[in-house]
Amino acid sequence: MTDMSGEEQLLEFLYACPVGLIECDAMGEIALMNPHAMQHLLPLAGARNAGNLFDALERHAPELRGIVADFGPATGRICDGHRIFVDLGTRRRTVAPKVLACTLVRLGPDRLMATLSDISQQVAQEDRLRQADTWFATLLDGVSDYAALTITADGRIATADPCFTRQTGHAFADVIGRNLTDLLHTDASGGDLRLDEQLVIAARDGWHLQEGWQQRANGDRYWCQRLVVARSSGEQAPASDYSVVLRDVPRREEAAEDVRRLLTCDHLTGAANRRHFGQVMQREQAHWQELRQSLSLIVLDLDHFKAVNDRHGHPVGDVLLRRVAEVCTALLPPRGVFARLGGEEFGALLPRYDNGQAMTLAEEMRAAIAALQVETPHGPLTVTASLGCAALDETDGSIDALIALADERLYAAKHAGRNRVCHHKACAA
Amino acid sequence: MSLNKAGFETIPLSDLDMMSVAERDALPFGVVGFEADTIVQSYNATEAQMSGLDPATVIGVPFFDAVAQCMNNFMVAQRFEDEPEIDDIIPYVLTLRMRPTKVRLRLLAAADTPRRYILIQR
Repeated sequence: MTDMSGEEQLLEFLYACPVGLIECDAMGEIALMNPHAMQHLLPLAGARNAGNLFDALERHAPELRGIVADFGPATGRICDGHRIFVDLGTRRRTVAPKVLACTLVRLGPDRLMATLSDISQQVAQEDRLRQADTWFATLLDGVSDYAALTITADGRIATADPCFTRQTGHAFADVIGRNLTDLLHTDASGGDLRLDEQLVIAARDGWHLQEGWQQRANGDRYWCQRLVVARSSGEQAPASDYSVVLRDVPRREEAAEDVRRLLTCDHLTGAANRRHFGQVMQREQAHWQELRQSLSLIVLDLDHFKAVNDRHGHPVGDVLLRRVAEVCTALLPPRGVFARLGGEEFGALLPRYDNGQAMTLAEEMRAAIAALQVETPHGPLTVTASLGCAALDETDGSIDALIALADERLYAAKHAGRNRVCHHKACAA
Repeated sequence: MSLNKAGFETIPLSDLDMMSVAERDALPFGVVGFEADTIVQSYNATEAQMSGLDPATVIGVPFFDAVAQCMNNFMVAQRFEDEPEIDDIIPYVLTLRMRPTKVRLRLLAAADTPRRYILIQR
């Protein structure tokens, strides 16, 4: 090894460090960073300023600015391994979608340190473990926790056991002949499959397992794992009836709800976050592949929003973003998901909505946003939005193409003069 | 000065490849040369001065893993994997001596030349 100065050695160490290191001021202006940090930051920054941490991440983690601003203590760890979901779609099937973990520490009033690392593989592994876990839980737990039923192909209950009564509150002897769907009250807003949809898959694949909220006879909700297995009398014959196994999975609801909110919601607006949006999108794509259920996407970008922040400051801009999320969420159908995808960009995912329904909803959202008014010291502030919508049928089931198509139409709406919805090739005001 | 600029934008890959180490060291812009395995074979004095690294320690290491992780993405490293012929200038931000620094990169690769080059102009 050649003689090396201490500084050179230190530089070499930092150039080779496989974790991104960044030092910036309170506004995100970067003073020092190593190459690994730039490796991730520059592609995310796009046309924005890669020399500012918050600007560079504005599209993928707009919440960071607020998380830092809301952190009270003068020094200390602001967030630890905060996950930034880079890919919404699945660009290449063989590659895990990219996820970055960001840790932020405040060292002084105007000094932040950040680390960035790629945890895509880790996240993919967690997903696999979770799936396996669900399976093992179903297989290994005490048999007494199960309600076991037999139902016919049209969903009518043929047999039920006493555990069904304990779990659901319906007397098992009285439910024979009734339709199981009518008793379960599956929570539709979660986007779970209905029982009849599970039967279609079970008839084809042999079985189907899902988890979700269900209702007992007294109206209480409980988290239920529902396994449907096809039974056939002859060897090749189509399934004549099905076994259904219901398992009550106790959850500490409040804690679970907190965690759910933390993991799925945008810090500022309370809308869903990119991560959750991406997950729902993939789940719905699977439903599309299995059952050809329609799925539509609206993407929405506020017009000239940068000017709002420049003129009125971020706090007013933030209020506006919250109000937009509020009015749009209120317009959603039961299964819809409204998410903040970037700085002033939102998306609405609409399971079982076709093109026409999505278009109508997009127009309602446009009108609701245009009607918003936020009071400011300079007088009332209004805003408009441009929207694009597309359906999964149009892109032959490709999520990436769906996002691209909706984006393309969003830009067409911008070019056509903003404050409008663009859908197919035509743009309507 | 304008001559130097023209050199960065116009010098052909073949000329660069035939230069002696001293000639490459004399160029006013950074030059890094490596083959398909990304192991650094050439690291000129200008680049060493900008990065603060001794060429002796850089030569022989995998470029995109040990020195230039900031280029280890689809914008630079991936292109050398995907495109046999490149002659392209792109604006970029490097972290020379750990400071974000706007530069222009010229990426050079040719199917008939084993060594590829990245030119760096501050």
